Amino acid sequence: MADLQDDIPTTTEVGEDDCLPDDPFPTESGTDVLERAHALLAAHPVADGYSGLPRALAPLPWYDLELGETAVDTDVPRLREGHVGALFWSLQVPEGERADRAVGATLEQLDLARTVVERHPEGLRLVRTAGQVIDARHCGRVAVVLGPASVAALGDSLGILRVLHSLGLRVLSLAGASWAGEEGLTRFGEEVIREMNRLGVLADLTGAPEVTLARVLALSKTPVLCTRSAAAAVRPHPANLSDELLARLGGQKGLCMVPLIAEQTGSTARDVADHLDHVRTVAGPECVALSGTYDSGAGHPRDLADTSRYPHLIAELLRRGWSDTELSLLTWGNVQRALRSADFTARAAQRRREPSPPRPADADV
Amino acid sequence: MTSSDEARSLLREFPVVDGHNDLPYALREQVRYDLDARDIATHQNAHLHTDIPRLREGGVGAQYWSVYVRSDLPGAVPATLEQIDCVRQLIARYPADLRSALTAADMEAARAEGRIASLMGAEGGHSIDNSLGTLRGLYELGVRYMTLTHNDNNDWADSATDKPNVGGLSAFGREVVREMNRLGMLVDLSHVAATTMRAALDTTTAPVIFSHSSSRAVCDHPRNIPDDVLERLPANGGMAMVTFVPKFVLQAAVDWTAAADDNMRANGFHHLDTTEEAMKVHRAFEETHPRPIATAATVADHLDHMREAAGIDHLGIGGDYDGTAFTPDGLNDVSGYPNLIAELLDRGWSRPDLAKLTWQNAVRVLSAAEDVARDLQATRAPSNATIESLDGVDGD
Repeated sequence: MADLQDDIPTTTEVGEDDCLPDDPFPTESGTDVLERAHALLAAHPVADGYSGLPRALAPLPWYDLELGETAVDTDVPRLREGHVGALFWSLQVPEGERADRAVGATLEQLDLARTVVERHPEGLRLVRTAGQVIDARHCGRVAVVLGPASVAALGDSLGILRVLHSLGLRVLSLAGASWAGEEGLTRFGEEVIREMNRLGVLADLTGAPEVTLARVLALSKTPVLCTRSAAAAVRPHPANLSDELLARLGGQKGLCMVPLIAEQTGSTARDVADHLDHVRTVAGPECVALSGTYDSGAGHPRDLADTSRYPHLIAELLRRGWSDTELSLLTWGNVQRALRSADFTARAAQRRREPSPPRPADADV
Repeated sequence: MTSSDEARSLLREFPVVDGHNDLPYALREQVRYDLDARDIATHQNAHLHTDIPRLREGGVGAQYWSVYVRSDLPGAVPATLEQIDCVRQLIARYPADLRSALTAADMEAARAEGRIASLMGAEGGHSIDNSLGTLRGLYELGVRYMTLTHNDNNDWADSATDKPNVGGLSAFGREVVREMNRLGMLVDLSHVAATTMRAALDTTTAPVIFSHSSSRAVCDHPRNIPDDVLERLPANGGMAMVTFVPKFVLQAAVDWTAAADDNMRANGFHHLDTTEEAMKVHRAFEETHPRPIATAATVADHLDHMREAAGIDHLGIGGDYDGTAFTPDGLNDVSGYPNLIAELLDRGWSRPDLAKLTWQNAVRVLSAAEDVARDLQATRAPSNATIESLDGVDGD
């Protein structure tokens, strides 16, 4: 651990934290807790459920994530410092993109993601399955999982869903789907969920209507994700989940991935920890995970400004008495379980089900 | 041995690589991709030119399946992805007969296994919606050629059957060609204006193809290839895959089609209208004006000339089955290729020449494009150029 300590750069942020005046556990010094957080994260790194990095890099004329890139919140040195082992890359297209452009825009994002990863072979590795996440980790690479993509990327076609999956897509956001509105899922919507299960594409239900969330929880054979949802009971926000939904999510062993977005969680790591405490209690320790949401345009809690800051959040949870097991589930285990479950479900379903026609003739779209 | 037997024996060893088949679009239009409704493991003569029994009978060993979508409707990219999905579903459904092929080596492996190598070609630059990222996406999905235009111009390339616009290729159009070279996606010059053919040949560093075009000297139609372009193929290393479409290959059919189109317009219909009323007018015309019939000999005439102009190493076959309403006598569907080979044998084409025509040239061309791509990738990064930056125009 002494090594890690030596490596901490003397940035002002770290300096500020080092002299936090209101350490609630004076018996254990802040440095000791931070050291324990680093040790825990070294064994169970963070699987970060949402990063906007590709789109943040797109307009930059040059960038180098390997050496460090100040234009964004994410680069290889800070990912290492924050013990990030896996990163979900959002492929969401800007709101207001013409509907018929959304599919092409998603292809462009996939292409950009591939290009960025190829340019940083020492730091990043594109993965598709839970097993490949482990492989990447064993090779000292940060695993990059593709998704969530916008539902508009489907063009309401299961054929396009299959094509995007073949390009590596693993998570699809259902928010805004014409077939998953306030009335729940249409029959086509149900077929989309079944085809996603068959392929191993996880459903992201953040921002989807409650009735859709409830229906997908009942229908999906594999746990769902809410990639950017905190607890509405702690802080009301349209994207946050009510206790009732959190409990139902817990029943399905889905993941509430608490975002580090000040607007949804509050402006400090302690506020985030309040949400994590609450989700752990209501949904269960197997159903809570983290979404950094860095480079997505969101404002972050001020002491969690970039991808290097996870140890400070974990230190806060240690102070609150989270067990090592709970923390390992939070940072890594739960996401790995969700990915692996989706892989298994897909393999089983592919033996049983044929691919659906792109637009089933008898289904309402 | 009759020439027909000899043709079949030759095709067993060197089967046909066909440059263009529109089965996926026919499945889209006829049955909305309900592949159970058109089980191509059984004869589909009533509905399609193409099914597996007839591909086998025709000695087809590799097929570029066209993932064509219309250029006059929005949403070309999503529709193209559905077409790609369709080809993949076909490959997955008929694994004993079809095999996915992404490389020249895959084509040879398929031939060794006795399966039909299945490649994909996109028909028209509209399928990338002015985006090199989307072009790379199509390559990643297995598309191995792109025809630069279909019947309409796009923003960066002129079509043979539209008014001149950019005068061949725009700056962005040339960048598209360079990026295709870098990827190893073949540049297909069927459907494009002669100015575009020449501009593409000036730009490309890899062999080009014409996936389904014949000779303009033999039959003067804008979809065919002028001699000066055919004569550039040896230096370029590419190939022209002769097409069978009667209204492109037979002068009488060209004239008849022009007269039939005039008749349609005189009766107040668009010449491509296929509604019931329009077809009634069309049939009445056909009764008084018998439709000229092309044959395998008509196509062989083109090949004889193209061989003079381009050389035996630069020829191939692209039938355009299921992409055209009428086909020549003897080449009525995908089972007909042996008739063409027999005709060429009768004209004195040697076995080694025919092996080049049917199989070897197409494999060599894809392999050469792979080599060029490998070299370029060592020095060239993916292009981030946009049509706005190069042509200074809005994409629309």
